[in-house]
Amino acid sequence: MSRLVPDKNKPVANPIVVLREEFDDWAVLFDPDTGNAFGLSPVGVFIWKRLDGSHTIENIIKELLQNCEDVPQEAEAHLKDFIQSLVEQGLAGYETQKTLGGGEKTSKTKKIQKREKQTR
Amino acid sequence: MNVTKDKSEKTDYPLNTIYFYLTGGCNLRCRHCWIEPKYQERGRSFPALDLDLFRSIIEQAKPLGLSSVKLTGGEPLLHPQIKEILELIRAQDLSLSIETNGLLCTPELVLKIANCKNPFVAVSLDGAEAKTHEWVRGVDGCFEDTLNGIRNLVKAGLRPQIIMTIMGRNKDQMEAVVRLAESLGVGSAKFNILQSIARGKGMYEGGEALPIEELISLGNWVENVLSASTHLRLYYSQPMAFLPLGKIFTDNGGESLICRILNILGVLSDGSYALCGIGETVPELVFGHSATDRLEDVWNNTPVYLELREGIPHRFEGVCGKCLMRGSCLGSCVAQNYSRSKNFWAGNWFCEEAYQHGLFPETRIIPKNRRTPS
Repeated sequence: MSRLVPDKNKPVANPIVVLREEFDDWAVLFDPDTGNAFGLSPVGVFIWKRLDGSHTIENIIKELLQNCEDVPQEAEAHLKDFIQSLVEQGLAGYETQKTLGGGEKTSKTKKIQKREKQTR
Repeated sequence: MNVTKDKSEKTDYPLNTIYFYLTGGCNLRCRHCWIEPKYQERGRSFPALDLDLFRSIIEQAKPLGLSSVKLTGGEPLLHPQIKEILELIRAQDLSLSIETNGLLCTPELVLKIANCKNPFVAVSLDGAEAKTHEWVRGVDGCFEDTLNGIRNLVKAGLRPQIIMTIMGRNKDQMEAVVRLAESLGVGSAKFNILQSIARGKGMYEGGEALPIEELISLGNWVENVLSASTHLRLYYSQPMAFLPLGKIFTDNGGESLICRILNILGVLSDGSYALCGIGETVPELVFGHSATDRLEDVWNNTPVYLELREGIPHRFEGVCGKCLMRGSCLGSCVAQNYSRSKNFWAGNWFCEEAYQHGLFPETRIIPKNRRTPS
């Protein structure tokens, strides 16, 4: 029997979420499901654009170091916290892998965890 | 260790803050006032909120979530028992915010304010020199008294905020007011936009209101140029759609411009409960009286509150219904929107005018294919 297991090293943006970039490199993330809007800093936008299911956490950190100045040593922890907060808000999820009972990988699918719709 | 709050003690919409419009009179007669109090010259007096009612309201509000009060007016420091009111606020450990014209900020009274929790005082100053300020404020000699009041606040260790309402007469003094504010040692300056409510309507009819293009242009100048030239925190009271995201999310700048309409209640000088000061000029937004009605009933059962709780933000219409910021902006000022149109859900006038002129920020509009019918 197979089951889907999230690969927490491969975050993926929720495709229904809209990114609206502004003149100062900040952006608004808009979730049509809930009507909620979130502000993204320029670094947040940089990360968001790499949540495509193919970039790993390590890949993103590497690109951050290549493209941004003064990246702090704690960047990986910050990145994981940031992605976790996106996941908790329903704005992102993880690439999933189908495994057999013994844990053998068989195929990949992109999946965003379904969340409850907010009523307000 | 986890701490679990007892939900039975909390409502879904805590009453965080009460705006007390303490006095029916004011010692200035400002041309643009949206409350329209009576002019209280020396020797005259007008009704002020009864101290026992004030005490009773506070006691009833604390179980509903009350953590702060705002004292405004009229002129709140004109209240004949203002010292007792300040002592009561301190004893109840409530955060204090005051909106004043500064004339009565004596060293003695300022010390009582400073002794309260998180004291914040906003002082109106509508010009950088006496002639302009006193033209707006309607009383000769008040400019110097206001500056003295600000100095007393600063001496007491407070970091007051200066509030300037911008209009045709004083728009060219905005930078000079910031420089004056710097020299006085205040903490911040806020620019309010003239509202077409009560006396403000006369200002609009008299041509003192600025056109939307100029208001937006001034906002951009304040946010991008004037702010960069001063150590003061500057706020321009425009709806959130016009604020840079960096200001909203990093500087707490959006927070100070949001009306937390779902968590506030107004008390007028006669003891009436109201949505806010709008109850002074819009009678249907008065919801009972503190002498006869229990606050809990008013807060939990008033149809207007229930309607707002059910409808904000998804019932907003016009450009507010299409705006990405509606969940945090909350219509900017629902009371003002209602006052102009008798409709809580009407789009905010500033945003509507900007939209009609093609000046509303495109990036703040929900894409057409992602809108849900309201």
